Amino acid sequence: MLIGPTGALFVLLAVALGVAVPVILMASRAPGARRLAITLILAASFAGCVLAVFGFLGRAAPRLDLSWAAPFPFSFVVDRLSAFFLLLVCAVAIPVTIFAAPYFDLHYSERRRNWTWGFFSLFLLSMIVVVTAATGFSFLVGWELMTLVSAGLILIEGDSAERRHNVFIYLLMMHAGAAAVAACFFLFLPYSHGLDFEAVRASGAGMPGGIRAAIFLAAFVGFGAKAGLIPLHLWLPRAHPIAPSPVSALMSGIMLKTAVYGFVRFTFDFLGGGPWWSGYVVLIVAAVTGLLGILYAIAEDDLKRLLAYSSVENIGIIFLGLGASLIFLAHGVPLGAALALIAALFHTFNHAFFKSLLFLGAGAISNSAHSANLNELGGLQRRMPFTGAAVLIGCCSIAGLPLFSGFVSEWLTFRSLLAGSALINTKAQIILPLMVGILALIGGLAAACFVKTFGTAFLGRPRSTGAEHAEEAPLGMRTGLALLAAVCLAIGIFPGFLLRPLVALAQVLIPGAGVPEETLSIARILPWTAAIVLGTGALVAVFKRRERIARTWACGLPGLSSRMQYTSTVFSKPLRFVFAQVYRPDRKVEELPADQPYFPVSISYRSVRTTSYERVFYRPFVELILSLAYRLRRLQTGNIQVYLLYIFLALVSLLAFLRFER
Amino acid sequence: MGLVGLATEKILSSFSVFLFLTILLLAVARRISTSVLLFGLQSAIIAAEVLATAFQEKLPEVYIVGALVFVIKVVAIPRAFFLLTKRLKTVRDVKASTTPTQSVFIVAAIIYLSYAAVHSYGRVVHVPDDPLAAAVSLILTGAFLMVSRKKALMQMLGLLVLENGIFLAALITTFGMPLVIEIGIFFDILMGLLLMGIFTFRISDTFEHLDVSKLRKLRG
Amino acid sequence: MRIALDILQVLLLILGAPLVRAIIARLKARLQRRRGASIWRPYAELFKLLRKEELVPPTSSAVFRLAPMVLFGATIGAAAFVPVVHASALLGSRGDFFLFVYLLALGRFFLSVGALDGGCAFGGMGASREALVSSLAEAPFLLGLVAIAIVASRVDIAGMVAWTLGQNIFNISAVHILAFTSLAMVILAETGRMPVDNPTTHLELTMIHEGMVLEYSGPSLALIEWASAIKLHIMVALLIALFFPWGMASNGSGWGIAVALLLYCTKTAVLVILLSVIESSVAKLRMYLVPDFLGVASALSALAVIFTMWVKR
Repeated sequence: MLIGPTGALFVLLAVALGVAVPVILMASRAPGARRLAITLILAASFAGCVLAVFGFLGRAAPRLDLSWAAPFPFSFVVDRLSAFFLLLVCAVAIPVTIFAAPYFDLHYSERRRNWTWGFFSLFLLSMIVVVTAATGFSFLVGWELMTLVSAGLILIEGDSAERRHNVFIYLLMMHAGAAAVAACFFLFLPYSHGLDFEAVRASGAGMPGGIRAAIFLAAFVGFGAKAGLIPLHLWLPRAHPIAPSPVSALMSGIMLKTAVYGFVRFTFDFLGGGPWWSGYVVLIVAAVTGLLGILYAIAEDDLKRLLAYSSVENIGIIFLGLGASLIFLAHGVPLGAALALIAALFHTFNHAFFKSLLFLGAGAISNSAHSANLNELGGLQRRMPFTGAAVLIGCCSIAGLPLFSGFVSEWLTFRSLLAGSALINTKAQIILPLMVGILALIGGLAAACFVKTFGTAFLGRPRSTGAEHAEEAPLGMRTGLALLAAVCLAIGIFPGFLLRPLVALAQVLIPGAGVPEETLSIARILPWTAAIVLGTGALVAVFKRRERIARTWACGLPGLSSRMQYTSTVFSKPLRFVFAQVYRPDRKVEELPADQPYFPVSISYRSVRTTSYERVFYRPFVELILSLAYRLRRLQTGNIQVYLLYIFLALVSLLAFLRFER
Repeated sequence: MGLVGLATEKILSSFSVFLFLTILLLAVARRISTSVLLFGLQSAIIAAEVLATAFQEKLPEVYIVGALVFVIKVVAIPRAFFLLTKRLKTVRDVKASTTPTQSVFIVAAIIYLSYAAVHSYGRVVHVPDDPLAAAVSLILTGAFLMVSRKKALMQMLGLLVLENGIFLAALITTFGMPLVIEIGIFFDILMGLLLMGIFTFRISDTFEHLDVSKLRKLRG
Repeated sequence: MRIALDILQVLLLILGAPLVRAIIARLKARLQRRRGASIWRPYAELFKLLRKEELVPPTSSAVFRLAPMVLFGATIGAAAFVPVVHASALLGSRGDFFLFVYLLALGRFFLSVGALDGGCAFGGMGASREALVSSLAEAPFLLGLVAIAIVASRVDIAGMVAWTLGQNIFNISAVHILAFTSLAMVILAETGRMPVDNPTTHLELTMIHEGMVLEYSGPSLALIEWASAIKLHIMVALLIALFFPWGMASNGSGWGIAVALLLYCTKTAVLVILLSVIESSVAKLRMYLVPDFLGVASALSALAVIFTMWVKR
């Protein structure tokens, strides 16, 4: 078992995160031990980044084989695709860890803090295991570990009945997804000898079309459930808001991306593109996901639920790129497929950073203002200027505005959809350009949503005493936010740094692809555009004169109060009205006493928004399963002779099967 | 060839776009008077096309057809509609059962559908795609107007748009029908309109409104 | 030489913008049988505002002070994309129309956010309605430009203009007619003209853009008003460049440029007259009818994209 320097890094990572940190935290209660643990996590993340760079640039992919320690083949490899996602995991982990250090100190008691840090490092380890797995067994181990550890992290925060219900739904859907993923692997078994990724890849070429379609569907359902595609996204807005903010950042920022990794690995690497209809299916599901995700986000007032729904929307955008790429592959246009894949992977990278930034910002807000409800915040920019600046950068990135990172990936997706117009005489010739319209609508709604978010949270007057007495976040939190914001800005103005590696990655995954010239042109034009915009902005700052604080005219009233501002609910009302078919809330207005309609003592208004897919899709589905289960219950009569009869019948049918099979 | 020749060539090759614009605007029109104006515009475009065909194919009787189209459909029928609206004192609203956004998307889908349907046929009969697709779109849009607008006057207008479409389709595929048949068709339409006018008066008199969705007695 | 001409184009768009706005106001006044203000009044107003002291609400933060500058910078950035006298622009040959549209969105984002910083109801109202209009206007804007880009097989605006220059002026293209109608409707929405928004209103019930700038004064207000005038000028120039560019200078000769400039002024005059007539003859739409208006524009632009399939066959 010879391991080179890169293999040693690998071992170091695994040992640090998996063994050392939990042991240290269990062993000692001293604060020094915790600091040592946090330093170990940071060092391990940094080592992971270095390993990823080696995996990308190096000639041979770093390997680690631990099959002697496990009953099944258990090895890891860092090839180009894994390296990209490993870099993502570790690079996001560093600022989140730095943020989490003071956050957990303020948030948790002693004992819980140790448990939380232990689970935190295990969570990071599980995600690293998933993206670097080289066999089916290691992949599935990592996959399940991710779910369990994150559920544990949620439950450490608190285990009221409602939280346990949400965690139950989370675990249920994740396990259903994991079953589909496992099915994916097992469908390869008749054709490949073992579930080593090499063997699977080699067997992918010669499989019959029906099996390929089945594998594609299983991968789509399994990884889609984990990523949060509609209609399998029910768990996302339930699980992400109730986790502590750094954990939400990791879940939204990285865990969803492991699903994207899995999907790309299966469809592009193993299958080499799905059946001809696969791209269209992915495209349509992605468009619906993006649109419904952002529509639900706009209607939310709870900051973390809003961000969770926004993650659904961004996953939709990522899968739009993936769907376009599959369509191009099916029509034999590798250049277009490469461009679309680059767009999707770029958006994956961007989303990891700006969503983590926003979730950490939400954590800082809830820490200072003791509330995460937008209707109770306000005026925080004057009280937490640094946090506000960082969150503003995050909001601009997620809205896809130029000079920020989100724009580049949306631009690449737009260009790849537009390139679909070159597929003459196919359905894709108009479907792909029409998707530009859908993506534009999603982008416009996202911008509106984040104007609302930033405006009601940070600007104007504070709407509660908590917001009034908010203070700036501690240094550790600010450092974490600053690191993420800096990356968003840097990639937004100089995207070339990320584009070149992504082009190399796409050329590995899609054989025969050249370098899409769009990646070169955007890298060339953005710095110039930034120069003109920022230069002009700085130039006109010359005109600024002295200013004087003057109270706003309040139409004759003694002064404006914070209740006279627009709240988050009101801001989104026009959009909710226009898209009323999507929301359909149950509204109830009750006037008491009922027999005196003109002189009520109290009027109460109740509006419950049950998302329509829950009503239309989930409840009937659940009821169907329950009714089937009740009917099957009749088989359990309790009579022992009936049970003996069942065994007898099974034996007889086996014999008959054997006889007729001959 | 001169300017007139150039103009006719341009008219013949591009009039379908303007027809599409009129039916898209018909989908969003909210007043009866606007719809009637759009119908008049549509008929004027078709009249121009008829005259252009006459010039190009050098068939003198088609000029008469063109003149008939102009006089009846661009002048007389819209006049009659305005008179009717004034006499009936009905509310100006079109009473659509679909929102303007839905209507315009449905009409856009109709246009796409007509092109898809005409595509394979056009190559067989050596007829350019666009005018035939415009004709089919007119027919389908007329039917859509009849289905989705609840005012009795709009039913008449829908029928007229439909007839426009049929006329255009006949014109394109036969390069001008014999004059006698044209006159016969026109008289049919006139009689139909006269009857519908009389009935609308009677409906309005008896029921005090012109909302056809409330006329439900056609049941066993 | 080319760069100098491109920079001159940007300066023309910036400096000519208040004049375009003033001419529209004067024409509308004449249509309403008034005399109307002088066409040089917006310049005097900008000059006055730039020298005034700035009054700032007590709740405002750095975002309030930053917003006008970002808005102005983004609008200038967008102005660098539009060809005026020759088929090239400062950023117009390398950058494509997606970047153009999103630069305008950047300006609008910061304007809305700055409006919410005032802490009073009008800013929120303006920002909320602007969110409605702009989020629904993005799709038809992009789809219309996509349709033209597909037909021209070019993605940069200068390239699309060059392609149109090479076409016969008497050819009628269904794609272009549909795209023009849709883009004209979107431009009415994006620049806040009737029937979507009344640019001269001061009633809070009817404000969209005016509501957002209510708290600004002095140089900030000057920058915002100038930026919105530049946006209108850019949109008019874009319509002319994409649909009626014939007459643009093909070489850098002085004579050609002068002729192109004259033709540009004529075309702008025609569009401005059309805009004034439309603005004076329609009533402002109720706010919840604006989505229907934009829905019609979306359907038209989607139809334009579908029609490209038959052009490209």
